[in-house]
Amino acid sequence: MKRRDFQAEIKELNLAFLMLAQQMLRDDRETAMFRLGIGDEVADLIEGLSSTRLVRMATGQMLLPGFRFDDAMLAGLLAGEGRDPASSSLHAAIVAATKTSREMT
Amino acid sequence: MRNKSVIEEAVDIQRAVELVSLGARMQMLEAETRLSRERLLKIYKEVRGMSPPKGMLPFSTDWFMAWQPNVHASLFMAFHSHFRGRDCLSALDAIVKAYHLYLDHIEAERMEPVLSITRAWTLVRFYDADLLQSASCTSCGGHFVAHAYDPTRDYVCGLCNMPSRAGKGKKRRVSARSTRFARMI
Repeated sequence: MKRRDFQAEIKELNLAFLMLAQQMLRDDRETAMFRLGIGDEVADLIEGLSSTRLVRMATGQMLLPGFRFDDAMLAGLLAGEGRDPASSSLHAAIVAATKTSREMT
Repeated sequence: MRNKSVIEEAVDIQRAVELVSLGARMQMLEAETRLSRERLLKIYKEVRGMSPPKGMLPFSTDWFMAWQPNVHASLFMAFHSHFRGRDCLSALDAIVKAYHLYLDHIEAERMEPVLSITRAWTLVRFYDADLLQSASCTSCGGHFVAHAYDPTRDYVCGLCNMPSRAGKGKKRRVSARSTRFARMI
């Protein structure tokens, strides 16, 4: 049986993710840290990665961008469950931002 | 108070331009920059193409308690609490950055901004003055704007427990003028 390993796809996504994260951090560090949900140490590290090390970091079987919250209610809200999609999105954003702040302090 | 340094004045002008393009009222500009009123008026007219609205700023905390304003204010405060905790940012930068994130969300959802930058600024001042606080919803865990000293033990937010007519009020058209002129310059 043929087994797909998704290696190429994972590497491509990892690379795109790391490059985006680096650009975001260099453009507006404080906002990027909030959006990425990372603290000062990791932000410093990613901001200072050379391209060689960035590619090295992207290589591997592990997907670097993981699911942000292991929370079914939040995932449902983000997908637009609820009475109307607009208020669900607001609700999701408030709950998610609260969680991010709590995790980072 | 006149500016002594030309560089400081330049920084203040840039800041004033960004604030005006985000929709700030004169009172906020006067409090947050050290430019003279005449200069601020000039900047306002140049950026917006009209005179600033006259009159006092709204000063009641009750506005933030109605359903829709409360949700929008809570979203802004959720962003703001992240930036407020960062020592390297000034109080004004924290407000501006949080407000940009708020507008990003509003834009992505094609909604109309309910909270103006001046309201957001007032909101933070109400927090600082202990007139408002954040209450944690017992159902979803999100933090929401509430009156200070209100009991918050069994607090349930307006999104977990939506009033039946919430969000069904008059729908206004999204105004064409971009609130974020600042991004283009």
